Amino acid sequence: MVKVEDIKKEAKRILKEGKVKYIIGYKKSTNGLMSVPAFIESPEDVENLIWDPTCVYNLTRFLVDEKRRKAREKNPDERPVGIVVKGCDSRAIIVLLQEKFINRENIYVLGISCETTGVLDEKKLLKKLNGKKAEKVEYDEKDNFIITTLDGKSKVPADEILAERCLECRANFPVINDILFGEKVDRKLDNRFKSLEKIESLSKEKRWGFWKEQLDKCIRCYACRSVCPMCYCDECVVDTINFAVTADTTAEEKAQRIKWVEKSPTTSENFVYHFVRAIHLAGRCIDCGECERVCPMDIPLRFLNKKMEKEAKELFDYDAGFDPDQPSLVSCFKDEDPEDFIR
Amino acid sequence: MTDEFEPRIVAFLCKWCSSAGSDLAGVSRMEYPSNVLPITVMCSGSVSPLYIFSAFNKGADGVLVSGCHPGDCHYLKGNYYARRRIALVKKLLEFIGLEPQRFQMSWVSAAEGKKYTQVIKDFVKEIKPLGPQTKLRRNQ
Amino acid sequence: MEKILTKKSFSKWVKKLESYKIYAPVKNDDLWNYEIIDIPESIQPDYPNTVLSPKKIIFPQREIFLEFKASNEEGLEVKEILPEERPAIIFGVRPCDARALTLTDNVFKGDFEDPYYWKRRNQTILIGLTCNIPPSFDCFCLSVGGSPHSKDGLDILMTDLEDKYYIESLTKKGNQLINLAKDCFEEPKVMDKKDLEKIQANSEIQIKRQIKDIKKIPKKLKGMFDTPFWDKESLSCIQCGICTYLCPTCHCFDINDEVASSAPLKGKRVRTWDNCQFPDFTMHSSGHNPRPDKASRLRQRILHKFQYFVELYENFQCVGCGRCISKCPVGIDIIEVLDKVRDYGL
Ligand code: SF4
Ligand code: SF4
Ligand code: SF4
Ligand code: FES
Repeated sequence: MVKVEDIKKEAKRILKEGKVKYIIGYKKSTNGLMSVPAFIESPEDVENLIWDPTCVYNLTRFLVDEKRRKAREKNPDERPVGIVVKGCDSRAIIVLLQEKFINRENIYVLGISCETTGVLDEKKLLKKLNGKKAEKVEYDEKDNFIITTLDGKSKVPADEILAERCLECRANFPVINDILFGEKVDRKLDNRFKSLEKIESLSKEKRWGFWKEQLDKCIRCYACRSVCPMCYCDECVVDTINFAVTADTTAEEKAQRIKWVEKSPTTSENFVYHFVRAIHLAGRCIDCGECERVCPMDIPLRFLNKKMEKEAKELFDYDAGFDPDQPSLVSCFKDEDPEDFIR
Repeated sequence: MTDEFEPRIVAFLCKWCSSAGSDLAGVSRMEYPSNVLPITVMCSGSVSPLYIFSAFNKGADGVLVSGCHPGDCHYLKGNYYARRRIALVKKLLEFIGLEPQRFQMSWVSAAEGKKYTQVIKDFVKEIKPLGPQTKLRRNQ
Repeated sequence: MEKILTKKSFSKWVKKLESYKIYAPVKNDDLWNYEIIDIPESIQPDYPNTVLSPKKIIFPQREIFLEFKASNEEGLEVKEILPEERPAIIFGVRPCDARALTLTDNVFKGDFEDPYYWKRRNQTILIGLTCNIPPSFDCFCLSVGGSPHSKDGLDILMTDLEDKYYIESLTKKGNQLINLAKDCFEEPKVMDKKDLEKIQANSEIQIKRQIKDIKKIPKKLKGMFDTPFWDKESLSCIQCGICTYLCPTCHCFDINDEVASSAPLKGKRVRTWDNCQFPDFTMHSSGHNPRPDKASRLRQRILHKFQYFVELYENFQCVGCGRCISKCPVGIDIIEVLDKVRDYGL
């Protein structure tokens, strides 16, 4: 695993030299184990930076905030923002660049390779420890995590508590960076859609039963949407009001806004919400797994996006997050796109 | 049988081909089932997936998107975009367990009144045995 | 009334309560939630707290107020829909969650009594369970006036004494439930009472988190409305609805007409939860948004709970359940925020 000291050194340098206005990275949370996003503004604060298997967040989501904040400022600081990214997160940057949502010169990317490991799934860890509190989790460079609890240390094979996405990660190194930490280590992966098969292999009615049960749990807190770096629309179909209104919008225009989805968390409405989200992320989701991680109701959202990822690959040979210059999945086509389903 | 289930199909038809095709079927007095609620759109490429989800949400038993044949789109490429998008929507709906027969796409030109009636006939025939679509329907 | 109920007699008692709708914490996958059950085998005293509190039963996320329909004679036919008439019992309520209902009670009474809330509230009996061990690492009930064996808002408090429960009935409703199955209960012995006291005292020691000098906070907050503090604290906030939807004391709602058909007009008026952390919560129809950024929304959450509510009802609008801390996707910790508030500018 990459040493945090190396990252700190670079962070200090770019802050001291004034190359960036601040750095988005990771620091310890108050619960003592997991990390939280850190916004480092001065070289002194760099000491708070950490890098360990608890750095799960996809911080690129905060580039969306940064853009909005900057748009509101009268005399914005034009220097780039430093951002720490893993392999998966770096693909989000590619998509944001591809969609011209951000500009390359506005970011300074501190890319970290996950090398032979990845990040933790906190829920899996909690289960593994039977609800006991972990104080520290370290990687032993030999495919194990060493977990420290009040009762001492124990060794757990990494696969058992790694995040699902890491188990299916095919590019665990930053595909874009201004400085790279760690080595590019190729992962062997026979099937990047393996976990999906569990659901695909069910019968149609079982699949329906599964999704109905899962999506019925949804309380529409929209954490899945809020945490996603690709869900940056100014206005979402599920919002109750038109954000695009200004003082000049007429009453008529406002009244004509279509209410596609009710606020009620009922089966039918929850499905529309999640359909819209899945489709809108097709060819854009880079599988950072954040939506699934944050869902308080433990809904396996990743499957929906993963399914779209798989179809994009199989039907259109399309991979999201590798090439900022390729057109996006649904704004291009090929003559030979499949049409056997069309009458 | 008076109470046989009659499915309601929402059909998004592009103005230049499929809608014209359905008109042709109409003025030529071709016979076909009356289960369709046609909605004319400018182009199959202008059918947002949200329209489709919304149709099922509001109780459609089946949804059809129909446009010009490849190469014939009035806007040149709209139907190629639609083809991609619809393929994804279809996969998604099937993945959550909706019967695949309930969502279909067709190419119908302005001259293909006959084909239009056939598409509708087949559609109705295929979804009749499935009964009403209740999975995604708003429970009002 | 105080009684002893052996764990064996527990299900016997519950069977006698058949005529009630019974809710208890149920585990689904790895998630605990209150659900309607036929027979609670036995409540597992060490279940971590449910994701959603019993708020979701008394103040459901979706409540139908009325149905409307176009009619020839009156123009619009309107039918009020009140919650189903059926007494309910909720088992295994954590003391903090029961206290939370005593707080939301304030909001739903006053000049206007909310018939929907009170119908459910009055027909529901709350049976609590002492938290011998805190159900979350982030519990801090002691700091906000509660305790792991608080009786506020409960009809019965059960305390697990290994092979039996110590039953403290606190209201008439509670007594009634016990009288329904008198033979299931025994009189407590002196030893039992001693065990109870020991366990309850010990339960307090187990609460590891606290907010020091919380009394100073409401006053302090008064002067902090316009400080840059909130910008900094909210940097990582993603504005989801988790902290407020899961909070047992948050009670904001929205009312919408769900139109099933426009001609003839037909539909329902529905109340759903709403959420001060959503950008559209305060959006005016003019396009103006008085809380335009996440700083002002985080500030609202904290100020409502620790200043405005205190001014109105002399109580914090927080019972220290820890949900907003454990479930926050970016680790925003209300205890840490309040600690910083207290020390701000010192
Ligand atoms: S998904 Fe890949 S890049 Fe992302 S954290 Fe896991 S191993 Fe690293
Ligand atoms: S995070 Fe989970 S509960 Fe919240 S809106 Fe998304 S799916 Fe629903
Ligand atoms: S504010 Fe947080 S800790 Fe307090 S009652 Fe609400 S969810 Fe629980
Ligand atoms: S106009 Fe017919 S498909 Fe585009």
